[in-house]
Amino acid sequence: MNNRRMLNKTDFEDFVDSLLRAGITVIAPVRREQGGEKVEYRPIHSPAEIVLSGQPPVRPLKEVVFPPTEPLFNWKQTKASVQIEEVPTEFKETVVVGARPCDAAALEIVDKVMGWDYRDELWFGRRQAVTVLSLACPQSDDSCFCTAVGLSPESTRGADWFMSSVDGGFEIEILTPKGEKLLERCKDRCRETKGRTNAMPSLDAKVRANLNIDPGKVREWLEKHFDDPLWSDVALRCHGCGACAFVCPTCHCFDIVDELDGIGRGQRRRNWDACQPALFTLHGSGHNPRKDQTARFRQRIMHKFNIYPARFGEVLCTGCGRCIRACAAGMDLISILSEIDRKSAEEGA
Amino acid sequence: MQELRDLAKKLLLDKQVNAILGYEWDRRGARPAFITEAGDCDRLVFDHRCVQNLAAYLSPRRANIAQLGRLAVVIKACDARAVAGLIRENQLKREDLVLIGVRCGGVVVNPSDSEQLNAENIAPRCVGCEQREPTLADHLVGETQSAPVGKANRDLRLSEIEKLNPEERLSLWTSLLSQCTRCYACRQVCPMCFCERCIADKTQPAWIESSPHSRGNFSWHLTRALHLAGRCVDCGECERACPAGIPLGLLNHKVARIVASRYGYAVSDDPSRETPIGSYRLDDEQEFIA
Repeated sequence: MNNRRMLNKTDFEDFVDSLLRAGITVIAPVRREQGGEKVEYRPIHSPAEIVLSGQPPVRPLKEVVFPPTEPLFNWKQTKASVQIEEVPTEFKETVVVGARPCDAAALEIVDKVMGWDYRDELWFGRRQAVTVLSLACPQSDDSCFCTAVGLSPESTRGADWFMSSVDGGFEIEILTPKGEKLLERCKDRCRETKGRTNAMPSLDAKVRANLNIDPGKVREWLEKHFDDPLWSDVALRCHGCGACAFVCPTCHCFDIVDELDGIGRGQRRRNWDACQPALFTLHGSGHNPRKDQTARFRQRIMHKFNIYPARFGEVLCTGCGRCIRACAAGMDLISILSEIDRKSAEEGA
Repeated sequence: MQELRDLAKKLLLDKQVNAILGYEWDRRGARPAFITEAGDCDRLVFDHRCVQNLAAYLSPRRANIAQLGRLAVVIKACDARAVAGLIRENQLKREDLVLIGVRCGGVVVNPSDSEQLNAENIAPRCVGCEQREPTLADHLVGETQSAPVGKANRDLRLSEIEKLNPEERLSLWTSLLSQCTRCYACRQVCPMCFCERCIADKTQPAWIESSPHSRGNFSWHLTRALHLAGRCVDCGECERACPAGIPLGLLNHKVARIVASRYGYAVSDDPSRETPIGSYRLDDEQEFIA
């Protein structure tokens, strides 16, 4: 038996429906309630809601395993004694249908830091519960650059199933034991297949035309240019909000806060945080080691293209382009990386 | 365009300013430009894709921009209202800035939108705007513009929402605000959100919970709307910047209409005009006290 299957469109919808009926949470790209053409990953109630074509969801898949806010524990205080109530670290079975390759890959990239010096129980608890069915990317735009960071519109990384749209249905590549387990649920509906019947034309060349760089060269340049006029020039435009980080599939910083639910009881929660607002590094003393936007913006680029590669062997970016689409100030990572690439070539010559 | 570029060049060459804050083309439409060399002034552009309110960059707390020195800023009429607000609230001194007013017949929603402005793609906030050029300006450039015409209109949308009963309205905003992840793009792009320390960032006590749950999000957005009462210049930047697509401009527009009906006040680009929140009149409405 090989690991490729064909599933026609009706059978695919029946399969999704059967997952829902089995009480499994299914998350897929769906239209925003009030947002016109925009789509987001959301739990669905019917396979008819799924939108697999068009632009990628505005927000990435990360919130499925790393919610914008989540409790770490509940506490109660009576006089001097404090009782802690743990939160569950096991989660309900969830299947993501139609993840973009750039989103699926991000989960594996972030696994490295989440399991590094401390194993993040909540991240891995959800990772364990989630099966990811990604789909060969159906559409790119002028913000996409996955091919410049070692991925592609047909990258299977991070996926349990990799689906390609073919005439009348999907060709499916089963990639992991989790994927095989899910296959059990639709064995009767699939048939084996050798390979691509009539795959869609790849978007590869189109994405490559947006940006073609060597992340290794970028890293070498960054290593030598902690101080460079590039940082102060580019950062002038940045407003210092967290939009880029919050739509980024790989940004994973968080803040921890205590909130009261009433007198003597409350929750400790963790919330998404971002390195561009000044508050991120502001000390209690009033001192801020990243004193201005120049320092803060440099940090964003350094972390993704120098620090993370140094520690984990790859860049913290999947080229999804969401930061470019989301930025109100027109900060453009493609332009910035091209500029670094150009400077690097100039200095190397 | 040449008029703008020539003026910018002259301002730099005569050393009237150290930098020009205007717009330039990027791969994806118009974006803010900071120009310090006269030779770069030909990059400056202005048309209906120059949607950003550059007054947001004028806060004295933007240390890296303050370092550039004396600035000339390209402003539309709505942007001029923000500059006036900053002067009125003692954030800027009029004499420290050179204001290049541009005539404007409305803008699109996103700087990467179409090269043609039409009734379909015009920003809803521009429909009904009566000001083609700022009064608060040292120079005025550009061709005369006609009044913007468009199909979408904020007042229409507001009156639809006003028709809902309170439960329906609560459920609408609960659903919209549940999308907020507290990236604070709304605050950072807002020229009138210049507080040294935003109330949302205070932790002792934490007046506004930073968690993006319903309680925290309602506290944040309603506090912000009230803090902008009689101050919001209706530039629409908060709504454009919101990655969650929350129609934040509607909240501010509603508050502006209340301020207009109760205090007869509309935000203007006259810095000397007193604001309802910054002044006191014996005939102010005060039935809520009795």
